[in-house]
Amino acid sequence: MFITIRNLTKSFKKGPNLITPLQNLSLEAPRGEFLALMGPSGSGKTTLLNLIAGIDSPTSGDLMIDDHDVARLSRAQLTKWRSRHVGYIFQLYHLVPILSAFENVELPLLLMPLSRSERRARADAALDLVGLSDRAQHRPTELSGGQEQRVAIARAIVHDPELLVADEPTGDLDGESARSILALLTSLSQDHGKTIVMVTHDPKAAAVANRVLHLEKGQLVNPPATPASAVS
Amino acid sequence: MKLLILALKNITRHRLRSLLTMAGVAAGMFLFTAVETMQHSLAKVTQASADDTTLIVYRENRFCPATSRLPEHYLPTIRRIEGVREVIPIQIAVNNCGASLDVITFRGVPAEDLRKYNPDLVVIAGSYENWIKRSDAALVGETFAQRRGLKIGDKFEAVGINVHVAGIIKSKESQDNNVAYVHLPFLQQASNIGLGTVTQFNVKVASSDLLDPIAKAIDETFRSDSQPTVTRPEKAFFAETAKQMIELIGFTRWLGLGAVAAVLGLVANAVLLIVRARVKETAILQTLGFSRLQIASLVSFEGILLGLLGGAIGVISAYLFFHWQSFTLGNEGLTLAITPSPTILLKGLLVALLLGLLASLYPAWRASRQPIVQSLSQ
Repeated sequence: MFITIRNLTKSFKKGPNLITPLQNLSLEAPRGEFLALMGPSGSGKTTLLNLIAGIDSPTSGDLMIDDHDVARLSRAQLTKWRSRHVGYIFQLYHLVPILSAFENVELPLLLMPLSRSERRARADAALDLVGLSDRAQHRPTELSGGQEQRVAIARAIVHDPELLVADEPTGDLDGESARSILALLTSLSQDHGKTIVMVTHDPKAAAVANRVLHLEKGQLVNPPATPASAVS
Repeated sequence: MKLLILALKNITRHRLRSLLTMAGVAAGMFLFTAVETMQHSLAKVTQASADDTTLIVYRENRFCPATSRLPEHYLPTIRRIEGVREVIPIQIAVNNCGASLDVITFRGVPAEDLRKYNPDLVVIAGSYENWIKRSDAALVGETFAQRRGLKIGDKFEAVGINVHVAGIIKSKESQDNNVAYVHLPFLQQASNIGLGTVTQFNVKVASSDLLDPIAKAIDETFRSDSQPTVTRPEKAFFAETAKQMIELIGFTRWLGLGAVAAVLGLVANAVLLIVRARVKETAILQTLGFSRLQIASLVSFEGILLGLLGGAIGVISAYLFFHWQSFTLGNEGLTLAITPSPTILLKGLLVALLLGLLASLYPAWRASRQPIVQSLSQ
């Protein structure tokens, strides 16, 4: 299995109260699977996504991603692991406004021992893959929402990570742009073998995934289902 | 290098804010450099070194050229003392004995002895011969000429004395660049002191270890004379005679420290604002895999760039200001040329760089420690 989660719990203190957004959650996902996480607000889906992405650490339980014991990595080790193996796609794109599309895509490559020409080749290839080669020198303010999200996806895949995590990637887009982004994600999963974990509230977005998981109060509420049955 | 370029781009994000910060840093570093330039100029004329071999013979208990009067006939007696290499009698006339920023000093010397006594003097305009030939001629120090806008052939009047500019001189001794050399008899008559009376004798001795014994010998020789002397090494003479000016300049050190503190606070505040405004963006970079050290470096680079760019403007402005303005502080007839120095320029740039770094340490630490998940949800 590419992702193996056993009895994963995340809790933290908020004032005098102990909050547990995720409790004893277990799941597995093979390499290349496109997984959708659905559930009401506060169900723990974003917490699970953040744990899988390595930007948060669990309180207890096991989290293995492709032989990496992510739950046991230190903060510094997690940072390094993220920079090599994870691509994160945000709902609101979060591009750096002073940088061009090309420079935004190039950002993760600055952390790698690559020459300028190697960085250029990789960033160009990523922009080409998302269909934005002709917008490389445009700043985020000069792009539409859909184009910004494409740049964000290019930034997420430019260092060729095995795992892509997406937090409501179509949540801020119109229908046409959302469909195009979902098609892109599907292609990344099917044609490029990326394992994708996507949080969404949108059943249409979830429908493109191989599997949809529902969370409620920090736990999976139904066994793994096919997209059609889950959405219905 | 990549982070440095990113930091540079970040600075241009809020141009007005960055420019205002740099303007503040520039003002602070201008003040710091001005104070350092004064301190450095003072150190040059008061700190003794092994190369110093000049003694000043002055009238005992006198502190101003207007009141120090010694008989010119002391000259052969001093010259005969063993270890004395050269002696020159000097009559000094100044426009102001108190502290002033525009002191005009005439030094009357025997025309035939000036070159022998001071071989380092270089005539950069006009000629030495013209000065010798004409009794009211003056060899004007480069800084003096620049300050007064004087050129060859000009006539000017100061301290009630009219002179003709025969040459402009340059010397490695900053005092020489701030005075006008005239013929001794001319100055004695023009300043109504009268022939045969001088302000001081400048005595060159064979080596620096002879300074004290020869000074004692000179003072001992004239102890019971009607005009007793007090003899000191040139730099000690400056340090003692211009005490008030030195104290005043010493006080400016606090102004320099104040300027440094202001720059530190200004840059720290600016960088802290930058960090606070970019909490989410920093979290994005952390998510992409930027380490704590890289985040801290990015923030520090911004602080360093703000400090260094603003500092460079302030330090270079101060350097050019003192270079073109040629300020001369005078007190008790002594002049202190405030001359800019490349050493101070480099020191100022280094201080600006260190201040930028120091000011950004706390903001950088804060940025690198912020929790990713909470920052993303802000």
